[in-house]
Amino acid sequence: MAAADHTAARDVSASANPLLRFASSARSALTLILRTTTGRVGFTIVMVHLTLAVIGPWITPYTPTDFHLDDRFSAPTAAYWLGTDEFGRDVLSRVLAGARSIIWIATVGTVLGVTLGTIVGVTSGYAGGKIDQIIMRIVDWLLAIPSLLLAILVINMATQRFSGVDDSWIIIGIIGISFMPNNSRVIRSATLAVKPLEFVESARLRGEPTPYIMFREILPNVLPVVAVEAAIRISFALLLTAGLGFLGLGVQEPTPDWGLMVAENAKHLSTVPLSALAPGFAMASLVVGINLLADGIRQAQNIPETGDSR
Amino acid sequence: MTQTPNSEAPLMQVEDLAVTFYTPRGAFRAVRQASLEIARGEVLGLVGESGCGKSTVAFAMMGYLPGTAQVEGAVRFEGMDITAMSDAELRQMRGNHMAMVYQDPVTSLNPSMRVGRQVEEALVYHLDMTADQARDRAVDLFESVGLADPGRIGRRYPHQLSGGMQQRVVIAMALACEPHLLIMDEPTTGLDVTTEATILDLIVELKDRVNAGILFVSHNLGVISRVADRVAVMYAGEVVEQAAVRDLFKGSRHPYTAGLLSCVPQPPGDDGVEHQLSSIPGAVFDAQVEQSESCLFAPRCPLAQDDCASVSPPMLDAGDDHAVKCLHHENVKPGIWGDLLERQQKPDQDGGVPVLNAKGLRKFYGGGRKKWILFGPSVRQPVRALVDVDMRVGSGRTLGIVGESGSGKSTAARAIVGLIPRNGGSLELHGESLDSHVHERTEEQRSAMRMVFQNPTASLNPKLPIRHAIVRALRKFAGLSHAESNERAEELLESVGLDPSFLDRQPSELSGGQQQRVALASAFAANPDLVVADEAVSALDVSVQAQVLNLLENHQRETGNAYVFITHDLGVVRYVSDDILVLYAGHVAEYGPSPDVLSAPSHPYTEALLSAAPIPDPDAEPTHIRLEGSVPTLRAAFEGCFFAGRCPRKLGDICDHTPPPQQTGLNGDGHVINCHIPVEELEAIQR
Repeated sequence: MAAADHTAARDVSASANPLLRFASSARSALTLILRTTTGRVGFTIVMVHLTLAVIGPWITPYTPTDFHLDDRFSAPTAAYWLGTDEFGRDVLSRVLAGARSIIWIATVGTVLGVTLGTIVGVTSGYAGGKIDQIIMRIVDWLLAIPSLLLAILVINMATQRFSGVDDSWIIIGIIGISFMPNNSRVIRSATLAVKPLEFVESARLRGEPTPYIMFREILPNVLPVVAVEAAIRISFALLLTAGLGFLGLGVQEPTPDWGLMVAENAKHLSTVPLSALAPGFAMASLVVGINLLADGIRQAQNIPETGDSR
Repeated sequence: MTQTPNSEAPLMQVEDLAVTFYTPRGAFRAVRQASLEIARGEVLGLVGESGCGKSTVAFAMMGYLPGTAQVEGAVRFEGMDITAMSDAELRQMRGNHMAMVYQDPVTSLNPSMRVGRQVEEALVYHLDMTADQARDRAVDLFESVGLADPGRIGRRYPHQLSGGMQQRVVIAMALACEPHLLIMDEPTTGLDVTTEATILDLIVELKDRVNAGILFVSHNLGVISRVADRVAVMYAGEVVEQAAVRDLFKGSRHPYTAGLLSCVPQPPGDDGVEHQLSSIPGAVFDAQVEQSESCLFAPRCPLAQDDCASVSPPMLDAGDDHAVKCLHHENVKPGIWGDLLERQQKPDQDGGVPVLNAKGLRKFYGGGRKKWILFGPSVRQPVRALVDVDMRVGSGRTLGIVGESGSGKSTAARAIVGLIPRNGGSLELHGESLDSHVHERTEEQRSAMRMVFQNPTASLNPKLPIRHAIVRALRKFAGLSHAESNERAEELLESVGLDPSFLDRQPSELSGGQQQRVALASAFAANPDLVVADEAVSALDVSVQAQVLNLLENHQRETGNAYVFITHDLGVVRYVSDDILVLYAGHVAEYGPSPDVLSAPSHPYTEALLSAAPIPDPDAEPTHIRLEGSVPTLRAAFEGCFFAGRCPRKLGDICDHTPPPQQTGLNGDGHVINCHIPVEELEAIQR
């Protein structure tokens, strides 16, 4: 128990300022992730992807949508590193440009899904009793709908009703809705573990309003679970986005999209294999990277935090 | 290298043992310097507060330390070096020659296996018995540990046994191969006092029967004084004192031991004078600090002199096989931890309106499950957790509620503060009726009644700084502005003996005792009239427990608040309470002023509780009223007396079929005993 006093003396300057505390906890989270090999490899892959996605538009050798009709079906050359497709568009430029939209859609979709799931999960878990039963049965019902089926349904309805809305927002919405049920169940069980603790009872005895208890007292304690959930979910979101693109339900031509590129170029696999394989590889490596990173976070969280050894 | 046992050598010899754990957070010196010896047929008690290395010593004896531990010094079992043994040798050793009993019997038993098979397995593996031989031997073993119906108990699964029975099975398992050394690590800590007493009886009896050496690890001085022949006291990873049990309890030569003894609430002496508790300032030593040339206890010691900071004291001989690690051991006398202050008498209960008045308080759990999940008739009867309980607490007074686990103490606390809604009865605060839900009560009512919980770690939000709990209470109840409440929070922290700089720390940076002080500061924030303390000191070490008890008492003297103090520790309840409510299975067994309840005549249940409570005095005469089993869970009303099933003084049919009358004690109507036996008769048999 006295060990805590010792650590406390060291950390007291850091804990005084919330900003400093956030910085130091972010730094320590990073150190923890980088401690495992899994975390290191995953982190590296994801960082490469992110960097390319951010700087992509400035380093693409050609405009991704430009046709080079003289160079259709080109094999990799000095001019076109990864060759060209049937319209003579540069594959490298299209892969680089496609990264942005898919990462954006998957991330925002996941954030939406996890946020919805957290609100539903914390509410359901804290309320308990009949409310909990009813919410969870609705969630079960949502879970029973295959997400691809849901996507086709929503897209068909949405494109008719909101024709002005950008495609990517519709896909983000689909990801959010289809991720909510699973997330809410995980968050609900985390909430159930925190709810009976005395500090929650303490807050009830102070007469705190229910939303305050749920989101100020309980939420910070389930955030680590939320973080791991989000990290794992992002790779599902990527696959879902790419899958929709592949089926032609996602972003439409000529916007460069990995799923769409694979679908369009699959028929030319024997002539210009890279035009379909390159976006496929980009996709696969990003998903593997994110999964490794999520594993790293999970492993890192098993390492006890300060003070737990008491 | 295979070693052979040497029957000439001491049974267990630990010499200058030092154990360091290397963790990502730095090195922890769990044991710094421990030397012990256990002879055949002897019980060595190992006592100390949490974090002082008791369990690590026990594990080192069994060769159980993990690879991250660096072990120095020697651990010799019958002359063989345990630290040099291979895993295979250790495995052979552990079953056949040494055995261990852990604190929690639930985790020591395989829940999916009948207990008989678990014992037989050890016999077949270690002693090469046939299945039939093993079965017969297991029955013998069950009989020897005092399990009723030993022939059939082996057919049961662990969950079908009570905690006490489970621990008996674990002890039977440990005795299976007739070990030479038995290590018991807090074997009674998780059990109720009544069960603890029966297990201690068993250990005292075993000590004479099996010729094994026993290491008995416990933080409880009362328990140690009951079973041990010799006692070793540990502090900060060092054995600081070692002596025969009587010498140690009657003439401790180390200031730490003397301090520990003075922290335990003692029954008033023959003169009837009650003394205030002493407490050891500060917290247990930091295991991360490097070894230094000084006495590790010096920072907390009232006798510390200049040389204590520069010389690491060696083990000194204080005569009569009494060893002590203190340079100034000849100065250790009874009064070193402050003069024994006589406690101030409190005013008698005034006739005015009580702070809290409960009548016919009822709480039934469950019964919520319906035939079609949410609708329809109830599937079964609810559990009757609290049945018609009356209590009143006057201002400036303390009501203690005692009982075994399952007796309804915590339910009572939660029903009073409104965390769980009551099902019946009335509850009044200053004569004003209280709603059964806390969120339906007025802000004044909420601020007048606060609660302190058992587990200090869980009562503070681990993700928010200390400031949060206190400032939030201040702003809600005292209506202070942000700046004012921050200022007041600093004063509050000081009033509970913590530095104001603690406000910005995270709860995980504080020790258990410090966390409990913060919880108290938050409870005291709005000058409540009533504080409900649910086992508020149970999770704390004795030295810290004494600090907190004194803090509670001082606060009461200054502000005149009332307490409802719930505890299973009779020593503590005797010390703090003006009135005592004894609960059994949700019923009031006895209720009245503290001295009346604690002396004859009392309810047979109170008598059994008192008789079971361990007293830290080796000369105390062991009492022989014991309760078997545990508090029943009830779904139907009792036909007769609630206590009839376990009562050692049961009269007969009348107890089974007629509810007990409410009798008045000898000293007037304040004292209620619910029992069929007339009070005069009770007094006669209990004197």
